[in-house]
Amino acid sequence: MFKAIVGASTLQDALDSVSVLVDECKIRLNEDDLSIRAVDPANVGMVDLTLDAAAFESYEADGGVIGVNLAKLEDFVGMASGDQLVELELDEETRKLNIRMDGLSSTLALIDPDSIRQEPDIPDLDLASEIVLEGAQLDRGIKAGDMVSDHVRLRVNADAEAFHIEAEGDTDDVDFQLDADDLIALTAGAADSLFSLDYLKDMNKAIPKDAEVTVELGEEFPVKVHYAVAEGQGNVTYMLAPRIQSE
Amino acid sequence: MQFADFAARAAELEAEPGDHATVAGVRRLLGEAGDDLPTVVRFLQGRVFPAWDSRTLNVGPALLREAIARAAGPNVDADDVEDELADLGEVGAVAAAYDFGGQRGLSAFGSGSREPLTVTEVDERLREVATADGDGSEDRRVEILFGQFNRACSDEARFLARLVLGTMRIGVGEGTVRDAVAAAFLAETADEAEADDRGVHPADGDNPATAPPDEAVTAVERALQVSNDYGRVAVVARDTGRAGLNAMGLEVGRPVQAMLAQAGTATDGIDAWGEAVVETKFDGARVQVHHDGDETWVFSRNMQDVTDPLPEVVGFVTAELDVPAVLDGEVVAVDEDGDPLPFQAVLRRFRRKYDIERMREEVRVELRAFDCLHSDGVDLLDAPLTARRDRLDDLLGDTDAVESVVRTADPDEVASAERTALDAGHEGVMLKDPESAYEPGRRGRNWLKRKPDVETLDLVVTGAEWGEGRRANLFGTFLLSARVEGGESYETIGKVATGITDEKLQSLTDLLEPYVDHEDGQEVSIDSAVVFEVGYEEIQPSPTYESGYALRFPRFVGVRPDKSPADADTVTRVARLADEQ
Repeated sequence: MFKAIVGASTLQDALDSVSVLVDECKIRLNEDDLSIRAVDPANVGMVDLTLDAAAFESYEADGGVIGVNLAKLEDFVGMASGDQLVELELDEETRKLNIRMDGLSSTLALIDPDSIRQEPDIPDLDLASEIVLEGAQLDRGIKAGDMVSDHVRLRVNADAEAFHIEAEGDTDDVDFQLDADDLIALTAGAADSLFSLDYLKDMNKAIPKDAEVTVELGEEFPVKVHYAVAEGQGNVTYMLAPRIQSE
Repeated sequence: MQFADFAARAAELEAEPGDHATVAGVRRLLGEAGDDLPTVVRFLQGRVFPAWDSRTLNVGPALLREAIARAAGPNVDADDVEDELADLGEVGAVAAAYDFGGQRGLSAFGSGSREPLTVTEVDERLREVATADGDGSEDRRVEILFGQFNRACSDEARFLARLVLGTMRIGVGEGTVRDAVAAAFLAETADEAEADDRGVHPADGDNPATAPPDEAVTAVERALQVSNDYGRVAVVARDTGRAGLNAMGLEVGRPVQAMLAQAGTATDGIDAWGEAVVETKFDGARVQVHHDGDETWVFSRNMQDVTDPLPEVVGFVTAELDVPAVLDGEVVAVDEDGDPLPFQAVLRRFRRKYDIERMREEVRVELRAFDCLHSDGVDLLDAPLTARRDRLDDLLGDTDAVESVVRTADPDEVASAERTALDAGHEGVMLKDPESAYEPGRRGRNWLKRKPDVETLDLVVTGAEWGEGRRANLFGTFLLSARVEGGESYETIGKVATGITDEKLQSLTDLLEPYVDHEDGQEVSIDSAVVFEVGYEEIQPSPTYESGYALRFPRFVGVRPDKSPADADTVTRVARLADEQ
């Protein structure tokens, strides 16, 4: 059983954060929240989304799992303007999702959840640094790196209390530096890893520029990037595996 | 099986020049494959799907380079990979040369170790690549491949890249796999096979003990013919032996290779067989029609599924057949009176993906069936032609889809049947041995297509090259083109050089020189004016020439002063001849 009413923009933003990484996903319709965890085909990037029941106007669910084609679901939900309400209801008989909004009702065929790639367990990581910054700052650093390379090195200089987004191209280099003063918060520890911009750019697309983004970083470890959605009633966590830095 | 083990075996096979040792190597690999046997057999042949399955990975060289670049990064792009390709000449070598694995996977941090690729996983991922479609599917295909390359060591990357493009280059042909399956699973006694494995027999010698018994090879061959699935045949041979293979039959919905004909004369056939069955040779596209009692599929000669483009054939078969059947025949285009239209009309319908309904109104197609491979649960491959034709008559005899045939020992009667067929607008006649079985994929002497003695094409001369030395002021080589249907443009198809004497070259040079358009070094382009009649042995697909075809062993027959370029043979006719051979 699943029936919920939610603001269109809340749902759209939440789905965007997943669709930048995968085309199909499993949605867990838990009693207290709706959650999605998905990993990209190369098993390098992962997203973990939670929308609390409180993020919905109304929410009833009993723990089922459905598989969806995200592009289709986004198309359907995208028919609503941002402040409209969208009603979602699972038809258990036909295994279809009914999506209703003012003046429009549509039916989305679901995918067998077993046919969707198995998500990995979230690695339990001990990451020494935690950087809290604005989405816009992260965006600027990623754009700067993209000018010269297809990878960026995320690094914390613990002594100088600074966070660096660096990129090394064939001929040109970029170093985007944020001091503790520029950041919302910084816990400085040993942290230095290289990441593919193919993934970071996709993740960055979904991160609102005004969001408070937390970056957890270690030495040659995956990075965790998380931020709140739905006015604090939900959370998105990205995890991205590093490329080994060859010196 | 680990993919690394498969890759190591493939590398050994690539390095092995001897046929016997190659068969022995494949046999050992098949013995080790365990549950992965069907996949390993397909991988050895550069396949993910069996031959009857028309699915493809849908990954071209450009997309593959993209995936390799991503795994090879940082700061390696598809152009860099292309540069490497220019140096190394082959994509497997390029993939093997990169040091992949820089990009870690998330699971490496969960379980703490890097997971090696397995044959099963590579197979699953490649199938995932094949099913990706719609918006963004190209990115997804690249991502999946990137994820695989990223975990591949040098040898794994080499054979993964080749597998993606479908060419393994390890010297393992269909015959090798067939012999290896027979040797691995149908050897007379287990002891013998084990003795081979221990190297008791010299692997590269002509030792009879290493060669599988002929009957075993025949059993494998037959199973391959009916199933078109090397993977499944290997499993059946291993698990249930020769009895299992013999029990394998046609499966409705899975195409088998078409039986083919050689060129021959009526007397050839009658001398060999006593009597010949004379069938109309239709000017259409060869199809195999499968009907399971409910659903109908149509496959092309290359076993591509062409069901969707031919809805009226499907409709006809579904309406007329009330039992499962597999039929061999041609799809022909017909006018309002039901008379045949030329082959290019059929081409407008065949393999079409879009505008099917609109084209259906423009070109009407019908089925002409001439053989029945299976009917109501009974395989008829081994039944004589006459029995198969009787069964065909039972199924469709009262429709236009089956034409009556002549059975005769008289060459004159063959000639008269041929005249009737030609007068009705057909291409001629086929001659078949009345007692012959249906042999999938075989181009034997049991089916003959009546052909004029010499195959020639009338082609336009559109270029030439000056000769060398003594012949420096004579044209030595002539560039030939076929006409593009409905226009005054021409597309190149090849060059003819041999078979021309100095004297003849002089007269050809005199004939062509007035039409020279411009010269560039030795090469001369010539305005279309002169038509050559040219003989050849075979038409082959070719990326070199504009027409997409090339002539094998082209031979100058003569100038055709009676023909203008507008009368020259068309690219369409070349395509049809290529399709028929």
